[in-house]
Amino acid sequence: MFYGQELFGESIPILIRFIPVTLFYFLVPTAISLLFGAWICKVRTGKKGLLYRIVSLFVSFFRGTPGLLQLYLVFFGLPQLALLFGYNINRWHPGFFYIVATCLNFSAFVSEAYRGAYEAIDKGQIEAGIAIGFNRFQNFLYVIAPLTLKTALPNLKNLEIDLLKGTATAYVIGVVDVMGRADKLVSLHRGYGQLWILSAAGLIYFLINVVVEVVFSLTEKRLRLSERSVHAS
Amino acid sequence: MHLNVSFMLEDFPVVLKALPVTLGLTVLSYAGAFLIACLFGAVILHKTKVLYPLILVFNTVVKGIPLLIQLLFCYYGIPQLLKLLSEKTDLIRYDPKHLSYFAFAAVAFSINYGAYMTDVVVSSFKAVDPGQREAADAIGMTKLQGIWYITGLQALKISIPGLSNYFMWLLKATSLASITNVFELLATSRASTADNYAILEGYIVAAAIYWAVCLIAEHLLKKLNQAMKQEEMINEHGRTGTYQKEAWWKRNPERCEPVR
Repeated sequence: MFYGQELFGESIPILIRFIPVTLFYFLVPTAISLLFGAWICKVRTGKKGLLYRIVSLFVSFFRGTPGLLQLYLVFFGLPQLALLFGYNINRWHPGFFYIVATCLNFSAFVSEAYRGAYEAIDKGQIEAGIAIGFNRFQNFLYVIAPLTLKTALPNLKNLEIDLLKGTATAYVIGVVDVMGRADKLVSLHRGYGQLWILSAAGLIYFLINVVVEVVFSLTEKRLRLSERSVHAS
Repeated sequence: MHLNVSFMLEDFPVVLKALPVTLGLTVLSYAGAFLIACLFGAVILHKTKVLYPLILVFNTVVKGIPLLIQLLFCYYGIPQLLKLLSEKTDLIRYDPKHLSYFAFAAVAFSINYGAYMTDVVVSSFKAVDPGQREAADAIGMTKLQGIWYITGLQALKISIPGLSNYFMWLLKATSLASITNVFELLATSRASTADNYAILEGYIVAAAIYWAVCLIAEHLLKKLNQAMKQEEMINEHGRTGTYQKEAWWKRNPERCEPVR
């Protein structure tokens, strides 16, 4: 059962070279979804028009179906959709489809995290912003956005960590990141020592995870410090 | 874009037949995860000497590694473990032709979600009013009796929102088992399109079923949560007694909006 342990050491340097790829598929959807999720949240907390209905349906769908299935839907559906407009994107890099699918999925979750936080913040703060003469944009930038982000941070942290671990599923459509490379190594050795290769991949994911977690904890700590100084002064 | 709608309608009952597999996998894994969470939670709350740090490390590692890797690990590893066991003892007969991939996936999901649900169990036990435990001690209950009759139920009630959240996550996560040879909804929808390559149509059918199931499950869990909350209100205020609805300005927030 424990044969092939030499592959553990051998595969780690190979897999380490693919960490930037995994980080790319983690950070790009994060950046897009944080913005897109904010827009969805804005619509969802606004007045209930047609747009509200559509966006609610969007959020419900992407929260109510598995991410893997959405990945397949985008991977097979988007080229057909683009063909309608006369573009052939069949041969585009699978990473593109992964990013699109993940952005759609993740912004639905992020928007819900934002919405929960927005509804939890003290409306008196917003009134105070208006009272001291902020216009709507300033009020959003200096009052609503920081408060919402701060309240949503614990939820966002969990979501981000899930997203990072979710990048492993990208290999099913042929993206070569840490997991994709590990899968190729497994088939290269025809299953010999597959447990050791998987363990190596798991170790790398664990270490990335630790880094992300530490970054979030530091941010949380920093925010708590700023809060205390406000109350003390 | 040309969608083969008639095929989708035809395919619907075929894919729907695999729904029991998905639900079965979810419920079985959830039961396993809950059992693991209770055991681990007991160890963490009791601070058992050697086990406590071991379980903390184990939970951290499980939570830090993608579920997919754990799933593949069980998929490749458990057959080898069974083979080893069958060579050493006569208890298990190893039959490489009839491996239960369903069971392997269930083990992986149980372990992964068990690690997450341990936190819920621990935090909800800690949220129970310590006076309740003291009261159980005071009327002469043993520790186990106290947990069984008094604090356990209260902790369960507190943990229901968290636990139902994980149920929803697990229901969606079982689609990953399609990678490891389990013929649940997603894998069936793909296999059902093998004749005419209408892969997208198959996936759309699967998505529709998943969406419907998730909405229904979410609705039921919401009902459960509401019922629990209502019961709590009645316990606190009596069925006909002093309990009143929230103040009118909380019920009608739109009437107290600031004038802009």
